Amino acid sequence: MKPPSVTPVTLWDPVVRLTHWSVATVVLINAVLTEGGSSLHIWAGWIGLGLLALRFLWGFLAPGEARFAAFPPAPRAAFAHLANLLAGQAREHPSHNPAGALMAYALWATLIVLSVTGLLMTGGKTPMQMDAVRATVATGDWSVLVKEDGAGPENGGPGKVAEEMHEIAGNLILILVLLHVGGVVVESRALRRNLVRPMIFGDRK
Amino acid sequence: MTRTLLLALGLATCPLAAMAFPVVGDVVGTNPEEATAALKALGCEAGAFEPEDGKIETKCVDPATSKLMEVYIDPKTGAVTEIKLED
Repeated sequence: MKPPSVTPVTLWDPVVRLTHWSVATVVLINAVLTEGGSSLHIWAGWIGLGLLALRFLWGFLAPGEARFAAFPPAPRAAFAHLANLLAGQAREHPSHNPAGALMAYALWATLIVLSVTGLLMTGGKTPMQMDAVRATVATGDWSVLVKEDGAGPENGGPGKVAEEMHEIAGNLILILVLLHVGGVVVESRALRRNLVRPMIFGDRK
Repeated sequence: MTRTLLLALGLATCPLAAMAFPVVGDVVGTNPEEATAALKALGCEAGAFEPEDGKIETKCVDPATSKLMEVYIDPKTGAVTEIKLED
């Protein structure tokens, strides 16, 4: 039996597009351009966390294809979709396809790990508080650090675990991004339409 | 004979002294002036001191390997707590 015809997303809503590209930029900045622990790295991490929170909120409030309910994590369906793709039987989906959905959840989970471990490593301090500590240390006063609880990575314990998890998640997200980009390319070719376009301006006529 | 041996031993260990580098546990001080001087005496020309996870981090080149190392100092005790390759 022929599957019912499905109208794919021709243009994702503004919140999805904003959060998608902004989070991608934050990942690029923190993976490639900034030094871990630097002011810019921490600022970008907080901005990324805010964008992630916005996307999660939107996942519950948005109408239509941006809602989490429109693309639930379904590993079996994801593998079935990949099998269909390999067999040359790719088909359209009203939201993310099941493999794309699983990738979105994997990326979000990794971003949560990055955010939480980053917060643990900085003692939950805001970027402004971190800048103030950095400025004080730059004047030669190290006592500002003595007041802290000493749960940093060098003391072992939770800080060290957080640092290692942050590093692993940082590498994992780059692998996931490569798989995601590869998936978009393969799917675009299989469906004979550019899947990136709906994530930018849609089909301009 | 003994003097000759001691002299030979001294000369043989000269390169090791030249290759000195801080180790974990070395107490270098709790302010930048003390730490810069102590680290320099240990063969580490420290750069800027920055806070990192509750510790003070500085960087210098290990003369034995010519690699840039991160040296972490406990701001409370002034002791070196960790030395690792720069990320």
